[in-house]
Amino acid sequence: MIELKNVTFEYGSAEGAAGGIGETVSNGSLKNINLKINEGEFVLLTGGSGCGKTTILRLINGLIPNFFEGKLEGSVTVDGFDVSHAELYDTAKSVSTVFQNPRSQFFNVDTTSELAFACENQGMAESEILQRIDKTVSELHLEPLMNRSLFDLSGGQKQKIACASVAVTGNKIILLDEPSANLDLKTIDELASLLKKWKAEGKTIIVAEHRISYLWDLADRTVVLKDGQIVRELSREQMDKISEEELHALGLRSARHPELVSGSHSQEMLKQVQHDSGDTTCFLTLQNFRYKYRNGYLALNIPQMQIPVGKITAITGNNGDGKTTLLNCLCGLGRRSKGTLLYQGKTYNRRGRQKLIFLVMQDVNHQLFTESVLDEVLISQSDANEDEARRILATLDLEAFADRHPQSLSGGQKQRVAVASAIASGRDIMLFDEPTSGLDYTHMLQIGEILRSLKDQGKTGIVVTHDRELIKECCDCEICLHDFNQINPAEGGKDA
Amino acid sequence: MEILNSKSKKTLLDPRTKLLLLVFVSVFVLGNAGGNAAAEFRVALNYLPLLLLLASGKWKPVLFSVIFYSLAYAFSTMLMPHCKGLLNFLILAMCGIVLRFMPGIMTGMYVVSTTTVSEFIAAMERMHVSQKITIPLAVMFRFFPTVVEEAGSINKAMAMRDIKFGGKKALQMIEYRLIPMMTCSVKIGQELSAASLTRGLGGPGKRTNICRLGFGWCDYLTFTSLACGLLFVILQACKVI
Repeated sequence: MIELKNVTFEYGSAEGAAGGIGETVSNGSLKNINLKINEGEFVLLTGGSGCGKTTILRLINGLIPNFFEGKLEGSVTVDGFDVSHAELYDTAKSVSTVFQNPRSQFFNVDTTSELAFACENQGMAESEILQRIDKTVSELHLEPLMNRSLFDLSGGQKQKIACASVAVTGNKIILLDEPSANLDLKTIDELASLLKKWKAEGKTIIVAEHRISYLWDLADRTVVLKDGQIVRELSREQMDKISEEELHALGLRSARHPELVSGSHSQEMLKQVQHDSGDTTCFLTLQNFRYKYRNGYLALNIPQMQIPVGKITAITGNNGDGKTTLLNCLCGLGRRSKGTLLYQGKTYNRRGRQKLIFLVMQDVNHQLFTESVLDEVLISQSDANEDEARRILATLDLEAFADRHPQSLSGGQKQRVAVASAIASGRDIMLFDEPTSGLDYTHMLQIGEILRSLKDQGKTGIVVTHDRELIKECCDCEICLHDFNQINPAEGGKDA
Repeated sequence: MEILNSKSKKTLLDPRTKLLLLVFVSVFVLGNAGGNAAAEFRVALNYLPLLLLLASGKWKPVLFSVIFYSLAYAFSTMLMPHCKGLLNFLILAMCGIVLRFMPGIMTGMYVVSTTTVSEFIAAMERMHVSQKITIPLAVMFRFFPTVVEEAGSINKAMAMRDIKFGGKKALQMIEYRLIPMMTCSVKIGQELSAASLTRGLGGPGKRTNICRLGFGWCDYLTFTSLACGLLFVILQACKVI
């Protein structure tokens, strides 16, 4: 049994906290939390960004206060064992955690040693570890992923390895921190069935998550947090009854799978648009887009594809369908990108496209270089014009942060800074790579609003996303990449 | 089964042998120990890592280094005696850099690319090295490729914003590159440590390891040749004295 008694916590420094400076949301601190989780229970922790979901998980696995320091009051016990004062390596024997970011939760470079890692640390006998790995690998069907470099795996595959390494330890308590943030619908389904299996085995599972739809039928109880406090606890019966409106009022996303905009429907819509206008100038026409990896693997082969101009188009598909590769190709990044783009009667080759299209990356940290938000916008303009830059910042509610360092802002604010520099660059076509991964309902709506306002300014938006709610919110049409990408089926089976 | 395959798939050399090789290359080639007496040994040490790289199937860097070595040897023996002044100095400097540094880099490349993190930890444990030294070194194995991945993404962002050599703002390029690099590295470093701590790294008990370590005939061959080389150098040095 896990018990949090009168827990109040405040992060000692900004490093572990969730929100950015100047953000109105709280920074992940907790106020007087009382929570009891029984053995074998499946609890869903949810709430807006910075509400303290992750903080609760960190309290249970002992990272707070042993790794992230701060002011802690109250007590946290796991099976009567005070984890706040225990050593992390002792807590690790009963509690396992799957983290959000698949890039940075592995210690090893190859998958097999990664699965063995936690058991090796406990000093378990070699034969025992190998036996456990064998069992987990066959149960989770991981045979194709063994003995590979973790750097060659896709986000979904890495998350599978993370879950498998938890399974190998056989720990009874499993914590998951936004495990679906980087996963596609198909992989999320697989994750859900794994959680179901764990639940049947009697493990205690606690998931902190924004995307609640895939967990809604599995969880025994939902705890809704806001500003570091528990605002609502829903039992199984209440979860079955609650309406979408009530959930949205709590700042939560939909609990039911939003209906799919069927592929054929959007295709017909595309044809309709084309038919109505009768010419091709209202389309971006992609011709012979190809991308081959260095090892000769063909990841992208699109003979022809059209994307409407002045609209928001969603590009969907599963991991390995080549979505990110398509974005890189569209922006002309990487020498192996091949293909031409027809836009407003002009043909753009790879280098030409670099100056035509702006990409807002999934990890915006990669594209914020300068010392202040204002500078960030100024260097994007062809001729630096401060008044214009400030006007752009104002349209995105960023004028108050003009002199701040971009890296001190919260994730959502950083994304808006990137959008601001996209607007400043004067480019008409903007690409977004998974803009809502890991965002709560409010911030998802905000992104939807930004996209719609870009459309009103006459820009063309192309959004690569798994997020059905975002598509419903703001996208005009949807292109399923799988229908266009003609990679050799024999090769297509391999996950890129 | 995959796992069984992994047990039989052992690299040619034991990690400890690889470290010894790295020490020899650093001392004799980079450090120029032994002076003229070790000249022949040095040439042998230049080519040994290449043989090993070739054996692990990495022929591209091998081809690259063979071309560079040959050019450097050719320049220093054939061209240099006929040059004077600045030109002589330039050739000396360039050949020196190639012949001194490249073997070390190649050996390092061989060691890092063929050793897994857990093999490395196991080897260090067999040598009774403290965890305080082993763990930070092991994290580096993982950290550098991650940083290289990040750098790739940052490069893309730069290209898209038209910040590149020859483009506008070429001067600020280094600064622009370092800022996101540093923030990402700090964040990744923190997440990596948090993740490994929750999995029990650093406990006081003895760690076990599933990888098989042990010296094979390749290791003994390497030991013997290194010992012979060392003996040869000492004998030559004595004769000179």
